[in-house]
Amino acid sequence: MIGWIIAFFFLVIIILSGGYGWSKIKKEHNEIMSMPFSQINFDELGEGSFEGYFEGGMYKWRENSIKVTIVSGKITDVQVLQNKENRPSEFTNDLFERVINKKSLEVDTISGATLTSKAYLKGLEDALKKAQR
Amino acid sequence: MDRQNIAQNELYCMGTLISQKIFGPNSMHAIKASELEIKRLNNMLSRFVSDSDITKINSAAGLMPVMVSDEAFRLLKYSAECSRIYNGCFDITVGSIATLWNEYKIKKISPVRKDIRKQLAKVNFRDILFDPDNSSVLLKKKGQSIDLGGIAKGYASDKVLEVYKNFGIESAFVNFGGNVAVLGSKPDDSPWNVGIRHPRHKDSVIGVVAVKNKSVITSGDYQRYYIDNSGKHYHHILNPKTGYPANSGLISVTVVAESGVLADALSTIFFIAGVEKSIRILEYFPNIDVVFIDNDLNLSITPKLTCSFIPLDGIKVSELD
Repeated sequence: MIGWIIAFFFLVIIILSGGYGWSKIKKEHNEIMSMPFSQINFDELGEGSFEGYFEGGMYKWRENSIKVTIVSGKITDVQVLQNKENRPSEFTNDLFERVINKKSLEVDTISGATLTSKAYLKGLEDALKKAQR
Repeated sequence: MDRQNIAQNELYCMGTLISQKIFGPNSMHAIKASELEIKRLNNMLSRFVSDSDITKINSAAGLMPVMVSDEAFRLLKYSAECSRIYNGCFDITVGSIATLWNEYKIKKISPVRKDIRKQLAKVNFRDILFDPDNSSVLLKKKGQSIDLGGIAKGYASDKVLEVYKNFGIESAFVNFGGNVAVLGSKPDDSPWNVGIRHPRHKDSVIGVVAVKNKSVITSGDYQRYYIDNSGKHYHHILNPKTGYPANSGLISVTVVAESGVLADALSTIFFIAGVEKSIRILEYFPNIDVVFIDNDLNLSITPKLTCSFIPLDGIKVSELD
């Protein structure tokens, strides 16, 4: 009997601490998710290499420093110098590539884009409009 | 520029999403007029509109000639001429076979060789008989069908630019589901940056071409495709010679030209013909530029495009001789 009481006691502790821990994790996630980004004017970038640092949020889990290289106004390289989260380099490379390309390939409109899903939705909208009495 | 001097909208017509952006004092009037123009052209040229000139011709195939508007007559004549010149790579009588592929697409089944052969027998632009005296057109055999899908959007983009000009507009673009035509330059006088869709990543562009007063039209294997029940991928650009989706080693062809109708036809022709034949055809078109993308995502561009084309980082580009 005493064994069961101890087991139950530990179970309650685990559940409570788990719940407490989860609420902390959730808080951390929310903090990161709602973190705003400043507007960067990509047309006015200085020449050379620059290091950036992020202290990693409330528990410093995501601390990292990044080096960016700019040649003739264009981002040519992004390197991870320090990386507490230890994401594989494929992950970060892919992420940074998206940022770089988004800038260097700013477009007014796209040739060859069918925008299939949106087109279907528009078609549906059109049909529904006609269906309106 | 004053906000009220910019007009933009999106509408669904010609089986695709059409977006336009117009700058200038008359932009609101121009956008309304261009919408009417697009609908007018769709009602005249679509084989899916029950009383269009094209539907009338298709319904009377093998029976009697049909009188059509001068405009439809001229476009049909032009299309037939393209078919004649690029023997076999372009044929507006692919309607019957396109219908068959649409049925496959709906049922998601692999094509049946016998059915394709049967419909292929009806594909022949030489069976379109023109009578200029009364603007009438006859399709010789029963079951034959004209489909202007490879040319109508390019033609419509030219007509829309004409509408803009009639309203004194000097800066605008229209995009027919990926077929782009730009008028003039941007209001700050810089060229329009037209992205070319990455053929394998639907949310990204593979390069950007900077243009003024041009049409930029792309034919790609990723548009309107379907995957059959065995997992095979079929795109919508049919080779009129084989009756099957074109398989020339190219997955995307972008043509940059002043005329939208020509750019539209040529992008289809080049896509079907492949690079080698296209280079020979290009000798007759010194003012036309092309971006070819092959199966391995190698890009080759006409030399004049070197100054105005920026590829995505890491993409190899070679210049055509």
